[in-house]
Order: sequence, then structure tokens, then C-alpha cells
Amino acid sequence: MRFTTTKELQAWLDRLAQETDLIAPRDVDGHVLYRPVASGDEVLLEYERPELSAKTYLLPDTEVLLRFERRGNDVTQEEVLPDRQQVIFGLRPCDAHGFVAIDALFLEQDPADAYYRHHRERTTLVGLACPRMWEGCFCTSVGGAPDDPTHLDVLLREVDGGYAVEAVTEKGEALLEGTALSGVEGLALEEREGEPAPSVADAEQVVVTEPAKWRALFEDQMWMRHGERCLSCRICTYVCPTCRCFDVTDRVVGVKDGATRIERIRVWDACTSTNYRRAAGGHNSRPTKPGRLRNRFYCKFCYYPEDFGPLGCVGCGRCTVSCPVDIDITEVMRDVAEAG
Amino acid sequence: MNESITTEIRQKAKELLESGQVDCVIGYEASARNGARPAFIYDPADADRLIWNEYCIHNLVTYLHDKKKPRKRGEEPPRIAVVVKPCDSRAINVLLAEQQIERERIFVIGIACEGVQDEAGEPAVRCNRCADRVPVVYDVLLGEPPEVTPVEDDYADLAQIEEMSPNERLAFWLREFDRCIRCYACRQVCPGCYCTTCMFERDDGLWVDIGIELPQKNMFHLGRALHLAGRCVECNECERVCPMGLPLSLLNRMLVRDVDALFDHRAGREEALSPLLFELGEEGSPL
Repeated sequence: MRFTTTKELQAWLDRLAQETDLIAPRDVDGHVLYRPVASGDEVLLEYERPELSAKTYLLPDTEVLLRFERRGNDVTQEEVLPDRQQVIFGLRPCDAHGFVAIDALFLEQDPADAYYRHHRERTTLVGLACPRMWEGCFCTSVGGAPDDPTHLDVLLREVDGGYAVEAVTEKGEALLEGTALSGVEGLALEEREGEPAPSVADAEQVVVTEPAKWRALFEDQMWMRHGERCLSCRICTYVCPTCRCFDVTDRVVGVKDGATRIERIRVWDACTSTNYRRAAGGHNSRPTKPGRLRNRFYCKFCYYPEDFGPLGCVGCGRCTVSCPVDIDITEVMRDVAEAG
Repeated sequence: MNESITTEIRQKAKELLESGQVDCVIGYEASARNGARPAFIYDPADADRLIWNEYCIHNLVTYLHDKKKPRKRGEEPPRIAVVVKPCDSRAINVLLAEQQIERERIFVIGIACEGVQDEAGEPAVRCNRCADRVPVVYDVLLGEPPEVTPVEDDYADLAQIEEMSPNERLAFWLREFDRCIRCYACRQVCPGCYCTTCMFERDDGLWVDIGIELPQKNMFHLGRALHLAGRCVECNECERVCPMGLPLSLLNRMLVRDVDALFDHRAGREEALSPLLFELGEEGSPL
């Protein structure tokens, strides 16, 4: 374990911003968001939970997969693979945990998703531990912790007078190599660290129910009760660090020198939206709001763990706090746990 | 919580459901997190879940669109009672004029409104410029309309936009739209947005493709505002639900003011179509 002062950290962030694409929590017109930053002084060091997860930097909300050019009968195509190196700084541990959930499908299934893999391999995750739990979050109930280093390359924790720096992986070690942050060791960190915040120690545990019980409750009336007020918007899925559904479409981007240029793009999609399950011919197998909302919860706690291993929820609480009609994932989890 | 209105809502709901006059009452129930949230009551025994308090901010009229079809094939569509504030009630007039709902299938529980609060506990933005205390349409009115000094809507909120040059306005809106995540919450919550297929979500991408990028977001927000010209009832739900805090009321109210000035029309005050919507007959445009 090492220690760095805030000043050293700022200098390091300045250097990182010069050398690579640096993504970090930033104030964007009053909203805290993970965004590209040009220098260390743009980076927030005291913030709660950024309003959106960092998912878009590994699974972009809009990503070009291929480019085509058509000239008469000749078609040429070019695969567009990302090769950007990036560091995401100030990542909350739950957001790193979210990437691990996406890995289970996008990396660990055969074949791996080439685009996601390219981003993942070129990204270094530098976490900043949450000093306490935030409104609506429950990471300690779903295998995480506000200071969990497991899914990060480097974890920083605020301590008296600066930050404790922990290189978690070789990638993290390599990032710190030769910087001020790789320096001073052996400081009496124990003395600098306070007690865990009461909000963490006393965080209420939400029971995660086994998939088999979820299956038994598929027709339960609770889905009507929770889902009828759903607006069928996409907020919950788009703020979520693990929701990973996408749509693919081709679009004409222009005509140049007699050639039509076309892009194939991949764009986020949401199972809560009306059109998600609409098939050719117009049939929609999930025509109602309660049915669609139910699917989102089943994906997280039943289908995804059964099919790919991890839960589809890291307890960040964003879907709960950003829902305009008070659909609360922990309330749903409790109802499932308590159901007869 | 307003005890007397709560009691009256529960009694009315019970009576309507027990007599079979309606199949469902759409009102508000308590919420530990937000103070109140929409509730759908089918069983008279559940009527005691209903409440009325200062957090009843949601415009429940939007849920009437989910109740237009029969629950089972061959049945009649359900009859619905809905709890409305004065601002919400104007949406009922718009939907009646546009033949989206049938008056005889809707029972309107109007509330004499003293204003509601947002999640931060502040008076809702829309309440600061509202002097309406009684809904424009109702079958029963609950509560005593409080005495208020009428507030003249001076559109002071629009001044910041008016002071900008066209280029500054463009820069202002593009900066705001840049935060948009294209979640469609503004459209989904809007009682006036009920197209079966939204022109911004067509499979063929005729007008705008599915990309979550600035040009598409710009097109979507400007297009939606124009589609609501003369139809927006200023309930401000779009702005309330936006997770990225876009000041959508500025767009909508700019059009509200222009339509009012040009056509003497304020949506939903009467049961009338937007003057910008018309049937193109043999004589051509009535404009």
C-alpha cells in the first residue's frame, strides 16, 4: 500500500490526460458524469455516484461496426475496430463490478464480442472508493463493497491528508510505474485511516432470491402492481452499469464521388421499451408495461445468473433514484424474497 | 398528507368500484422514497391505499392511453376514474378533442389544488405561475378551492432565451441536448405523445436514425416540441422526469406563448383541437 497527496494525484492526472484518453467524473452543467477530461483540475475528487455508469466507454451508446462503400455494383467494406487506449479514473467499485457482469456474456461466451474486447483490453480502471453508501444503493447485498478493489486495476481510498493507493493488477502496477504514485511506501496508513462510515457498516442487506423462486413467481400479481405505473421509458436500462442490450442498423452517411457510404451502427436498446420485442409482421410478445418491467428484473436475478453466471445487478441504485414513478429495485427484491 | 381530501378520495373510489361504475381508479399511493406515486386500484378493499398530499406531482392522465383497449377480446374497454389536478385536467380536454378517450368511460375526480412539490421539497416550477385551483373538467370536486391572488403568467422564464442571438440559442440548446441520453422518458410521460409509432423511432429511420448522437437528439427534441404546439398543457412532466435535467419547458412554453398570441388558444382550457391541427377539406387549408 502506498500513499499520495492530493497535489501529487493532480499532477499524475495531468500527465495521464496528456498521454492517454482520460475519462473521469466531471461536473457537466450541474450533473456529475464520467466524461473525457483534458486536465487534472477538471477531475472531481469529491462526488457521490456519477449519474450515469461508465458503460458507454466499453460498450458505446452508439458505435460504428462497419463501413461500406457502394459504387455501381462494387461494394467495399471496412471493419472498424477501436484502438483507443483509455484510463477511467474515479470509477466507483460498483461500476467496475458492472463490467465484470458484461464480461460474462461479451468476453466469456464464444465467440467473444470483438468490439467490446478491444475496448476492454485497452482500458485501465482506476477506482476511487466510496466514502459511504449513497441514496438507494446496496452493493454490499450483491457481492460488492464501497471499497472493493476486486474488479479494478488500481484502487484509491481517501485517507487523512491524501489517498491510499493500491495496485490491484499488473496492468495497474504498470500504470503507476515510474510515477509519484508508485513511490513512498511504509507510511503508517493504519493511522491515517478512520473507521468505515456508519452508512457502510450498517447498510441494510437486501436478500437476493434464487432463480428457481423467481421462476415460480412469474405469474404473480406483484408484476402488475409494480409494472402498471411504469412509463416504458429507458431510464433504468440506460443508467444501469450492466444492461447491455443493443440494436444494429445500417445508415447512409453520404454520397461522395459517385459512391454511397453506409455505416453499420450498434446502439443501446432497452427491454422496457415498447418496440423491443416487436417482430416482423408486427407481433409483440411483450405487449404490456408490467410484462416488460418484469423482464428487466428477471434478466438481472434469474436469466442472466442462470445462463452466464453473475447477477445482472451490482447494487448501484441508479435505476431506483432516477425512476420518475418510483419503481424501486430493492422493493421488488424484497417482495420476491417475502412472497409465499 | 391532506387527511380530508384523502378520506374523500378513498370514499369516492370505494363507491365507484363497488357500484361497478368504474373498473379501475387511477390515483396516488404513499411512497417512502418520494412521498407519493401513481397507483391503480381495482378492488374496493384496496381503496384505502389512496392518498392525497403535496407530492402528488405526476400527471395521471397519461395512463388513460394504456386503458383504451379492452382487457379481453370482445369485451368493452374498461371505465376508468382518474384523480386530476387543474393542470392535469387540461390534458383530458385535449384527449377528448382529439378523440383519444370517451367522456362516458372516464370519471374525473378533480382536486381543488393548493400546489405540489418536487422531490427537493420546493414548490413545483409549474405551480409558481399557476393560479388555477379548480380543474377545467371534473365529475366530482374534492377539497375547498383556496382563495388565491391570480398570478399573471408573464413568461419570465423565457426571458433568458429571448435575450440570446440565434447563434447563442443554437449553442445553448445543443449544449443541453448533448446531455440527453435518448431515453424517451419525456415522450413516454407526455399525455399528448401517444402515436403508435413515433416518427423518431421508425424502423426505417426515415427522419432520424437510432443513433444516440447530437443530430438525432436535436431533431427529436425540436420535433417533439413542434408536434405539441397548441397541444402542450404545460404540466411540465417532461422536464420533471428528464434524468439529465433538460429545460424542456422553455421549448414548449415558447410555442405555448406564440400559439396563444397568434390564435388565442391555450391547450385544454376548452375541449378544442389545436388551431395548428386541421382537416384539409375541399376548400383547402382553413388557415
